[in-house]
Amino acid sequence: MKSILRKLAPAAVMLAMTSWGSAHAQAETLTAGVEAAFPPWAYVEDGKYKGIAIDAMRAIAKDQGLDVEFKDLPWPSLIPALVKGRIDMLVTGLNVTPERAKVLDFTIPWWENDDEILVPKDSDKNLITAMCCGATVGAQGGATQYKWLEDNLASNDKVDMTLRGYEDYVTAIADMLAGRLDAVVTSTDTAEDFIAKGRPIKIAGTIQQNQPQALAVEKGDPKKLLGKINAGIMNIYKSGEWAEIVHRYAPQSTIREIPTTMPAYVDTYQGDIPGYTK
Amino acid sequence: MIFETLISQMPYLAHGLAVAIGLLVCLLSLGLVLGLILATLEVYGHWSLRLACVAFERVFRGIPAIVLLLLFYYGVTDYIEMGSFTAAVLALGLRSAAYQSQIFRGAFLSVPKGQMMAARAMGMNKLLAIRDIVLPQALRMSIGPWTNEFSSELKATSLAYVIGVVELTRQAKYIISNTQGNILIVFGVVALMYFVVNRAGNWALYRLENRLALPGFEHRGDA
Repeated sequence: MKSILRKLAPAAVMLAMTSWGSAHAQAETLTAGVEAAFPPWAYVEDGKYKGIAIDAMRAIAKDQGLDVEFKDLPWPSLIPALVKGRIDMLVTGLNVTPERAKVLDFTIPWWENDDEILVPKDSDKNLITAMCCGATVGAQGGATQYKWLEDNLASNDKVDMTLRGYEDYVTAIADMLAGRLDAVVTSTDTAEDFIAKGRPIKIAGTIQQNQPQALAVEKGDPKKLLGKINAGIMNIYKSGEWAEIVHRYAPQSTIREIPTTMPAYVDTYQGDIPGYTK
Repeated sequence: MIFETLISQMPYLAHGLAVAIGLLVCLLSLGLVLGLILATLEVYGHWSLRLACVAFERVFRGIPAIVLLLLFYYGVTDYIEMGSFTAAVLALGLRSAAYQSQIFRGAFLSVPKGQMMAARAMGMNKLLAIRDIVLPQALRMSIGPWTNEFSSELKATSLAYVIGVVELTRQAKYIISNTQGNILIVFGVVALMYFVVNRAGNWALYRLENRLALPGFEHRGDA
């Protein structure tokens, strides 16, 4: 037994070295995690990835000479996958929040969103009656809208609102149209997408959030991607390609100035920002 | 309009189904080989081996499939590099091995003890007697319960999307999110696709069972 092991050992070492070598060579291809059921930011049609975030990431990769492939994971899996290093970056309509800033590094924000209160088209509820006094409201679990509703309305007994979480907004809207919810709160571009695709819903009111959105990389940026992505975002913004991409998927949207507001709680927005200020 | 979308997206649903069936074949094969080994050891093995097999089987039967998937994708991949598909095959395959081991254990025990004694009396050693006498009879008898395992594992593949395997359920979600609705109709079509594969597989297994049956030897009801 021992002699067999001794004979095999050099072979095993060589095998390990070659596999390490090839793993090293493959490190050139970066994996961008997306939730591909999230139009207009990322979705799949005819077997191809499409959406604002997808096209913009492709443009940034081309601009910076990066080789990027997309990996689709459901929304609740995306941040854990980035934290664990299963993906190299997170490319989707990702809101910048203090909790997230603790576990990942944000690029400069390229978008800003408000939240919209959606009600069925034939509903007589207004923005007050849809949100209080016995109303039941739905939002995507783990989304910033859910957290905001929970912190500001559901936890306040005087408001008397019941909050329900859903895996995604499509099911929340379906539940509302089935009569089990009074309202659903989504971000502005999701709301506009629903209306553009003919769901019988309308906007009862807007919650002004000025919520910045950005891409994200692993905390501490071990692959030194922040500088490249930030520079890429600025380049496609200045060349006008960004506006073209956004209007391809959301013709009614106003282009925000990049970077949009950069909250003080994000440490990658302090001092010199790689790819932007230096 | 949704029907046009469904027809135009059918190739991608079919591709999703192919991924699901691929996953099913891999995990059932892993489960079959490992399950047979586990069952043999549980029935005929030394008590220490038996204990190890029982422990494995209890653990993998006692954890929900979705939790196993997440554990393998986020935990085991820290030590061994593997993709979503491999992680799904391992998580669901090891779980299937635990279930299949119980199917085979039952089948082994249903072979009358006299068979083993007769084989040993004719001078066969234990391994040979298991391989040539007990196993062929036991395998034949496990086909019936095994159809259950086939059905439930086919349906379990629909959970693999949580770790990024783009199978039939995920493809269906793509259509739903593209059109921002039509949940009922899309999942209705997907349900039909799963059902057809399930029926086809069970039909083939029942045919195999009938074909391998020895007339007048095994009693399988009066039908």
